[in-house]
Amino acid sequence: MLVWLLRAAAADGLVNEEVKRTVDLSTHLAKISAEILLANQGGSPVQSFTLALEPELGPHLAYVGASVKGEEEEDESLELKETAVHGRSGTFFQVQLPSALAAGGKLRVKVETVLTHVLRPFPSHITQAERQLVVFQGNHYLYSPYPTRSQSTRVRLASKTVESYTKLGNPSKNDEVIEYGPFKDVAPFSQDTMKIHYENNAPFLTISSITRTIEVSHWGNIAVEETIDLRHTGAYLKGPFSRYDYQRQSDSGISSVKSFKTILPASAQDVYYRDEIGNISTSHLQVLEDSVEVEVRPRFPLFGGWKTHYIIGYNLPSYEYLYTLGDQYALKMRLIDHVYDDQVIDHMTVKVILPEGARNVHLDTPYVIDRSPDQLHYTYLDTFGRPVLVATKNNLVEQHIQDMVVHYTFNKILMLQEPLLVVGAFYILFFTVIIYVRLDFSITKDPAAEVRMKVASITEQVLTLVNKRLGLYRQMDEVVNRYKQSRDTGALNSGRKTLEAEHRTLTNDIAALQARLKAEGSDLAEKVGEIQKLDGQVKELVNQSCQESERLVAGKVKKETYITSEKTLAGKRQELISRIDSLLDAL
Amino acid sequence: EPISNNPQQKHSVSAQEKGLGAGGSVSGNGRPNTAAGCGGGGGGLSGGLTQPAGWQSLLSFTILFLAWLAGFSSRLFAVIRFESIIHEFDPWFNYRSTHHLSTNGFYEFLNWFDERAWYPLGRIVGGTVYPGLMVTAGLIHYLLNLLNVTVHIRDVCVFLAPIFSGLTAISTFLLTRELWNQGAGLLAACFIAIVPGYISRSVAGSFDNEGIAIFALQFTYYLWVKSVKTGSVFWTIGCCLSYFYMVSAWGGYVFIINLIPLHVFVLLLMQRYSRRLYIAYSTFYIVGLVLSMQIPFVGFQPIRTSEHMAAAGVFALLQAYAFLQYLKDRLTKQEFQTLFFLGVSLAAGVVFLTVIYLTYTGETAATMATQHHSLAQHMPSLYFSPLPLINPIKPVILNLDTERLFDPVLSAFAVYFAGVMVRLMLTLTPVVCMLSAIAFSSVFEHYLGDDMKRENPPAEDSSDEDDKRNSGNLYDKAGKVRKHVSEQDRPEEGLGPNIKSIVTMLMLMLLMMFAVHCTWVTSNAYSSPSVVLASYNHDGSRNILDDFREAYYWLRQNTDEHARVMSWWDYGYQIAGMANRTTLVDNNTWNNSHIALVGKAMSSNESAAYEIMKSLDVDYVLIIFGGVIGYSGDDINKFLWMVRIAEGEHPKDIRESDYFTPQGEFRVDKAGSPTLLNCLMYKMSYYRFGEMQLDFRTPPGFDRTRNAEIGNKDIRLKHLEEAFTSEHWLVRIYRVKKQENRQALDHKLRNVAAKQKYTSKKTAKRKRGYVKNKLVLKKGKKLNKKSV
Repeated sequence: MLVWLLRAAAADGLVNEEVKRTVDLSTHLAKISAEILLANQGGSPVQSFTLALEPELGPHLAYVGASVKGEEEEDESLELKETAVHGRSGTFFQVQLPSALAAGGKLRVKVETVLTHVLRPFPSHITQAERQLVVFQGNHYLYSPYPTRSQSTRVRLASKTVESYTKLGNPSKNDEVIEYGPFKDVAPFSQDTMKIHYENNAPFLTISSITRTIEVSHWGNIAVEETIDLRHTGAYLKGPFSRYDYQRQSDSGISSVKSFKTILPASAQDVYYRDEIGNISTSHLQVLEDSVEVEVRPRFPLFGGWKTHYIIGYNLPSYEYLYTLGDQYALKMRLIDHVYDDQVIDHMTVKVILPEGARNVHLDTPYVIDRSPDQLHYTYLDTFGRPVLVATKNNLVEQHIQDMVVHYTFNKILMLQEPLLVVGAFYILFFTVIIYVRLDFSITKDPAAEVRMKVASITEQVLTLVNKRLGLYRQMDEVVNRYKQSRDTGALNSGRKTLEAEHRTLTNDIAALQARLKAEGSDLAEKVGEIQKLDGQVKELVNQSCQESERLVAGKVKKETYITSEKTLAGKRQELISRIDSLLDAL
Repeated sequence: EPISNNPQQKHSVSAQEKGLGAGGSVSGNGRPNTAAGCGGGGGGLSGGLTQPAGWQSLLSFTILFLAWLAGFSSRLFAVIRFESIIHEFDPWFNYRSTHHLSTNGFYEFLNWFDERAWYPLGRIVGGTVYPGLMVTAGLIHYLLNLLNVTVHIRDVCVFLAPIFSGLTAISTFLLTRELWNQGAGLLAACFIAIVPGYISRSVAGSFDNEGIAIFALQFTYYLWVKSVKTGSVFWTIGCCLSYFYMVSAWGGYVFIINLIPLHVFVLLLMQRYSRRLYIAYSTFYIVGLVLSMQIPFVGFQPIRTSEHMAAAGVFALLQAYAFLQYLKDRLTKQEFQTLFFLGVSLAAGVVFLTVIYLTYTGETAATMATQHHSLAQHMPSLYFSPLPLINPIKPVILNLDTERLFDPVLSAFAVYFAGVMVRLMLTLTPVVCMLSAIAFSSVFEHYLGDDMKRENPPAEDSSDEDDKRNSGNLYDKAGKVRKHVSEQDRPEEGLGPNIKSIVTMLMLMLLMMFAVHCTWVTSNAYSSPSVVLASYNHDGSRNILDDFREAYYWLRQNTDEHARVMSWWDYGYQIAGMANRTTLVDNNTWNNSHIALVGKAMSSNESAAYEIMKSLDVDYVLIIFGGVIGYSGDDINKFLWMVRIAEGEHPKDIRESDYFTPQGEFRVDKAGSPTLLNCLMYKMSYYRFGEMQLDFRTPPGFDRTRNAEIGNKDIRLKHLEEAFTSEHWLVRIYRVKKQENRQALDHKLRNVAAKQKYTSKKTAKRKRGYVKNKLVLKKGKKLNKKSV
């Protein structure tokens, strides 16, 4: 079996000529990077090679990436595809080389692996005064399907304090660095447990779940909200938490997390940071040139095993992230963003809420991600709901902060829908008010009130007409005045004629209204009759003054007599008018 | 030329007068209005405008809208300074139950049994709350969500009271308009919108019953006055519905159900009986009674308890009176009748007064007093502050109309109530607002009215145009009926323009100062959420002390979901609302012995307290300690109440005198009584505080609240351990340790040779267990105590 396998591997003809591994254990992650010098000792060119990960570490793998040194000293990342190797347990990836490796050729490849939750706190419960010790269990050798000629491993720890470590090949320890190797001629798939027990007080923060909601509005705004469940996954706190010690002794609760920094995009505005019971007032915001930094301080320091929950949200201008060509739109945003340095996300849900009416939605992600069925979201002024893309992924680290692109089409006419809706709503509101005010909705008829209203409306008309009639007299006065100056009898006569005609119609109208008042049984009819009578007298007076002026013009009376008679006439007229007024008032 | 001008001039004067009369006299209620009464302003402005009635309603609308806006925005201090957060204690419960309502639905809310309160008793929430507030907020939230307005229920709760303050202003306007006139109504609306007495219970975040109840109260009054005036069943049913809403909202509905009968009674005494009154009151009493009994919390109280008997008595009296009136027409013996009437009314009056006397001076006040005094809610100084400003300008108006009589009755009653219990000052506030509005209104009418007439620019007669437009609408509702009221009714009073302007200026100054005062009081006294504290540095920057939420949130996140938290009852609602944990006692205070048990635990020594806590399944103990920052409302300052309440139930174990020094002082320093220095509350408050030196001028363990160096610095806890202390030590939470393992036996366990190969003969299905090493008691032998 083994022989067959060796032959299978050798069929590729690949050999790890030289391997330099670095295991970085200074945080709560295990970042393993290896520089491999691949040599093709087979007879034919090779298109791809296989990367392998130990079966024990496989489930903890968050990220793996391979790159080669390009022509201009640039790292060119390679394409990875998960595969399986027959008869071997472990996780395997097939790496596509940029160009075929000719027989006898050599290539330097850089492989980067990030593992989460591989540092196990030991002891698992500590008191506030104690320091946190963790155990890492790994492999001394590079786990590879190819034989390795020579390899060395360098382990970087978080502190100098090391309880114990495996001593294969007599490693050298210098401060926080342990160097293993070099090991010569290692067989493929060889494993030898490397165990290091050391002090690590780095924040063991884990985001047990995050929901990132991106709401796109075509009115110029993108709202981002992240709901985060945070947990301290280091050694559990045993016994009491003493605030006194925590405040007075700097090394008390050294592994606890007081605060951390979240970096938001530079254009982030209106940042909020809250939880179920309100604003978390302990946070600080700093606007830098190329980013916005939030110092997130949970309400209480996080000790081992403690958790918290919060929501952070902000707005972004859409012109930086939304691209459009006709009806085609593309939203290019980070699938996941920075929460804290060396972040670990156990479970992530991303929701992208597109504007109402977006169609042909298509999501491009930088790495494989599980799509859940689309949902609908209803918010302000929505009628048929906004499409929501939902995607989930487990076990993410900082390397996953990459852009995704959402393509969709959107008919621009639909932009009018929301304003029209508002306009329509107001229209209906005002219309209802108008209808309500104008119509009579009472279920019973109150005859008395009805009559009162009728009488009131008739009186109103009477008032108008009487006022109009009084206005006629004033017009007549003016005509007379003009006549006195111009001595144009024709004008006077025509004026008189119109007066007569209009006066007659008005008087008739009033009489008709009076009859109607009488029909309604109102006693106001008598008063109107009285007004009519008085008005007749006024009319008489007007006529008289008219004749007087004619006589004056004709020279039949002297000016003085005319003035005195005019005065008496005016006085009489005034008296009558005031009586009419008082009658009108009484109406 | 001078000749011809004469008549025209004259005429224009008369036309102007008409215009004025038309502007000033339109009134919605058809009362003959005294001259430029209601808003002289309205009349003056509208003189030259096309539709005076339209202008007037526009003006009223604008003023009411502005009053609403002012009332709303002056309640937002707390939101702007802090955030949109629920304040204080009771609102947290209301918020929590509203949240429950909005997530689980109405029926689930009515049947809600809250197992997280009053452990282990629980609380039937649906049957022990006035659901009006929650239902209102829930309904608004539901409607908004139906319209896809995604507002969080918390924001609905926070802004409910400020929004309702606008409705209160409008109902106050309506009521005052009914009682007096429109101008007074507008003034009253403006007053009620900003008066501190009402703001104190209705700032944004103060999500409490009173916030909506004052609206319901005013609206019920309005509808009652309206129904007495019209005698229409329609208005009375409206009044009943409003009363129903009030009953569902606040226990203060008792105020209405006593006030309206009192009004009726006084009317009867004054021989103002009318058919309208009969219809209004009979309908109101019966329908209102039936409706009020629909609220589960009220239940059968309206026919059982003494508070409601006055209404029943007046109902009976009214029936009797109406019957007598009926008989009056049939019988001849006039004298006998009047004698009979007198006898009946006297008897009823005596009964009525006795009932009132018994109710409000006796039982209710006395029973409530003990518990409620430990709450800082009853600080009279704050409550009285709005009063002195308004009281002196209360007018003595004895122009008594049937409905106007309502006013003095209302005010007398409200003053009486407020005297009995300071908290009911709230009911007095609207009355004071209305009375002062009337006073201001009549003062302005007197001093401002004539000037307006004279200074008014000549108005044009615009009736022509007006009529062309509206000639067709005979039934137009827009109050177009214009009447020419003669202006000569009132003789000119001999007031010089100087006096007028001085008085007006003074009045305006007073109003302005009132507005400033209101804003100041609101901003300083009533706009603190009390969940979040703030302190200001010398340079004006602000420090937020968020210890309460820090600790509550710690409880919420890092304790078992079913953990039971013991604390003094003040914090019960907050723990339930913010920490979402089970509490033993809360602000509902319905079970005094349970509270006394907690008080006893707090005031006993640690081992005695441990027994109590064990029996109550306590997991955590939460206390408030202000010694580090000098917060005076902490548990040590409340401690004597715990002792007293505990003593009330357990006089053998707890004696208040033990907690005082021989001189009768309550001290926490070395001179303090040893009982105090060793009780659980003291130990929890000062645990490890003795090591803490706050600054260099004071010794370690110096309590800033009580300005004393604590007497017991070496505190060791045996059964408790510190679980959490907030940043400024304001909240301290202790974990109650589980019982220790039993002591090791001083002898070896019996070594019974087990039957090695025992196999049951039963089939696997019917196999029954057996107990290995089962103790077999031998009769007649005493067992060793330790081995049990």
